[in-house]
Amino acid sequence: MAPNQTVSRSTAAGFGRFLIAIYALFAIAATSRSVVQIATKFHEAPVAYALSSVSAVVYIIATLSLATSKAHSRQLATVTIIFELVGVLVVGTLSLVMPDAFPQASVWSGFGSGYGFIPLILPILGLWWLWRTGRNGDAEH
Amino acid sequence: MTGLYADVVMCVSLVMAVWALVDLIRGRSSGRPFVIGVGVFEAFMALFVIGGVVQAFTTTHDFAKVEFCGYLLGCLVIAPLAAWWNRGDSSRAACAIYSVIFLLMPVLILRVQQVWSGSYGA
Repeated sequence: MAPNQTVSRSTAAGFGRFLIAIYALFAIAATSRSVVQIATKFHEAPVAYALSSVSAVVYIIATLSLATSKAHSRQLATVTIIFELVGVLVVGTLSLVMPDAFPQASVWSGFGSGYGFIPLILPILGLWWLWRTGRNGDAEH
Repeated sequence: MTGLYADVVMCVSLVMAVWALVDLIRGRSSGRPFVIGVGVFEAFMALFVIGGVVQAFTTTHDFAKVEFCGYLLGCLVIAPLAAWWNRGDSSRAACAIYSVIFLLMPVLILRVQQVWSGSYGA
């Protein structure tokens, strides 16, 4: 193998399988929650419920991009998970400093405190895993 | 929905979680016996879900039926989805996934009970 050749390990192997399962759980939970919220009481908190649907889409894309090994799935996963991390940090901060704007909680409110802060930890783990599997050479080990 | 049967399903789930955690510590899955255990759990859960749906549509009690049925559906599909994802995989990752899933199930059942009693909304 040439010394400068990039070796990328699949994101869907080893710890990645666990990470994808957790992302899939959040995709199911966030999608179900946002469908019910938008269908039954969207007028009560449109911002929070719209954010719930955004988070649902993010979790679905992250799950699929981590689970597939197509050419651009790693880049898509990276962009999606960075967006997820920024979303958790921005929504988490705004929900604390402007609580009136969030009369109902979204998945990312309070940095995901309603879900044991897993929404905050998950993108950090996701980015670490993408970095870990995308490193040159020693990513194979 | 707060009956003894829900407690039994939660206990079966916790037993499965402990089994998965032991496998995780050992570093390998128990394989076929564990998959049979997942099937037994799913049979318990299917009866719980059927009982819940029957109660939801026969009671005059007012509660969020859509959310209630959503949680029941989640309870029913998550373990089979985990089994499908873990098919042919006896690694630590599979054990970790089962551990999380079976620790999650009692939480979902508690949420089902909260929605039934009207103390929890989406």
